[in-house]
Amino acid sequence: MIILVGLNHRTAPLAVRERLFAGCEEEKNLLPEFLAIDGVAEVLFLSTCNRVEVVAVIDDNPETAEKLKKVLMKKGGLMDGEATCLYIYRDDEAIKHLFRVTASLDSLVMGEAQILGQVKDAYRQALAQNSSGVALNRLMHRAFRTAKRVRTETEIAANPVSVSFAAVELAKKVLGTLTGKKILVIGAGEMAELTGTHLIGNGAEDITVVNRSIVQAAAMAEKFHGRAAGLDNLDDILSCADIVISSTGAPSYIITESMIRRALSKRKNRLLFLIDIAVPRDIDPAVDNIENVYLYNIDNLQNIVDENIKNRRREALKAEKIVEEEVKLYSNWLKELEAVPTIISLRTKAEGIVRAEMEKAQGWINSMENADKEKIEALVKGIVNKILHAPVTALKEEKVEFDSPDIVAAVRQLFRLDD
Amino acid sequence: MTEVELKLFVLAGICVTASTIGYLLSLVVKKVQLARLSTWILLGGFVFLALSLILIASHSTGWSNFGSRCFLSLYAWAISGIYLGMQIKTKTRVLGAFVAPLILLFIIAAAGQQSDKNLVPLPWQGWLTTLHLLLAIAGEALFVLAAAAGAMFIIQDNLLKHKKPGKMSRFLPSLGDLDRINQSGLLWGFVLLTFGMIAGALYAAFVWEGRWFSDPKIIWALATWVVYGFLLHQRLAIGWKGFRMAALSCVVFVLFFISALAIRFYLPTIHSFI
Repeated sequence: MIILVGLNHRTAPLAVRERLFAGCEEEKNLLPEFLAIDGVAEVLFLSTCNRVEVVAVIDDNPETAEKLKKVLMKKGGLMDGEATCLYIYRDDEAIKHLFRVTASLDSLVMGEAQILGQVKDAYRQALAQNSSGVALNRLMHRAFRTAKRVRTETEIAANPVSVSFAAVELAKKVLGTLTGKKILVIGAGEMAELTGTHLIGNGAEDITVVNRSIVQAAAMAEKFHGRAAGLDNLDDILSCADIVISSTGAPSYIITESMIRRALSKRKNRLLFLIDIAVPRDIDPAVDNIENVYLYNIDNLQNIVDENIKNRRREALKAEKIVEEEVKLYSNWLKELEAVPTIISLRTKAEGIVRAEMEKAQGWINSMENADKEKIEALVKGIVNKILHAPVTALKEEKVEFDSPDIVAAVRQLFRLDD
Repeated sequence: MTEVELKLFVLAGICVTASTIGYLLSLVVKKVQLARLSTWILLGGFVFLALSLILIASHSTGWSNFGSRCFLSLYAWAISGIYLGMQIKTKTRVLGAFVAPLILLFIIAAAGQQSDKNLVPLPWQGWLTTLHLLLAIAGEALFVLAAAAGAMFIIQDNLLKHKKPGKMSRFLPSLGDLDRINQSGLLWGFVLLTFGMIAGALYAAFVWEGRWFSDPKIIWALATWVVYGFLLHQRLAIGWKGFRMAALSCVVFVLFFISALAIRFYLPTIHSFI
């Protein structure tokens, strides 16, 4: 059976997650320890800052799952009272949970892309240490396929859900590529810094930081390898910038309509994108009426983010359906897999009977022409295969549809496979 | 038109119709994959049209078979070629939603013409007139592209100014890309049209007698040249960029398009074969 034991940001407080994460990190390689537990056949271990999970293929003994849980508790130094932080999912529930995690439906920020990479790393580690076998390999490939389907068939990750990323997306919509674009940051606020970092990450190169205090401006400029300037030079710098982010604590407008008109005339009306994340606002809203100037304030950005979050929730419903489909596909495959040993025994037994009977009949068969011998052999094999076809198909179907262990037992008993 | 040429033309027509429907549908469902697929279908139309035109032009009699149907097809071919060429660089697939219907319009107009009517008079045919026609048509095709980019710019500008960067805004190309396409269309369109007109004028000056420059189509072309030259000057030297240039390219294109139709159908012109 497939089992998943672990905890995440929903079930465990930060302090517990920290302890378990640190405990697991300390011992770089936990896979041998899990594999050493009796009844554990295959195992994968995933550890991120928000979740620690063990996915394993184990026997039917209920003790095995408890043993896995105990290893995790020991690693995190978890008290008995904290055991409730850990969850154990079995079979379809475990498969579903893993698929949801990989598709980023269970993440703190739903739809974020990092988790897929982390699961892939965990799988790579399992492969490197041979702790993954037939069932787990197929499970992980299905999980990656599910994640890919969720990404391509839904818009769960299409739109940014943070103000700074929303600002970057807008900048791209206005200016096209950000490569080589010049940024002006006014004020030394945290949000401005974050947005600046994202813009640079997307190709913007030239950054100038302007602040009332030149020392603070220089400190931030240094982080971006940019330039620092005082507020007096604002007019000149404005005419060069393509993106302006303002977040000062000034009580009145720092950028007025006339300043933008002057800057625009100097820059021959090239497109200009302004982000005003200050409260009270730094940029006169009248600026937005100027042609080729696009001004977004904190409320505008927040509205976009809210809309995107709503959209993600809507898309998550579609994603859950994909997960359900994929869980069913894997689960069916797994059930079929359980019938495989019986099918193999059945075929081996039939082949044995054919071989024995053919040997018994060697006396009169040998007196025949070679061509006739082959025909008889083919005929016998054909009859046996036809007879076996119905029970083998029924066995697979019954396993998939009803997961009935009785059918396997019945077939084994009917054909005396265990004798 | 031989049977093969006609079949190729029909195939091109089917491709352009399918890609137009695909592009317009992509605007409705806002799926870029559909626009991408439509671009490939349009490429098919472009190839069929090219084959059909090459076959017609390679007859032993020179391109004496070139009439209205061929010239209108040549417009469709030039617009698709320039749009597809631009796609290699900018990847603004969605722009096809505005360009493909115009290509389809030319194909329909071409299909409506009889292939053996309005042929270019045989004595006029030569390398100078070939150059004149090719350059002028390519130049005008570039203006079509500038107008399409302009129209899309206006929609995107409206969405971004009204703080509605929803699905539609995400689906449309960025303002920066559209403005660049508009500039390239105007610049190269003007350059090609200028050379095309010089070639035509040289031919007319040496071969024709009389007041050829009072032909309505030539006056129209001169007006086009002056107005687009003015727009280009304002754009490059004065800095009329973005919204203003997008709106002007659309208005100017519509005015010239309508006046070209009026000249074609209501006035006597030596360019009646186009």
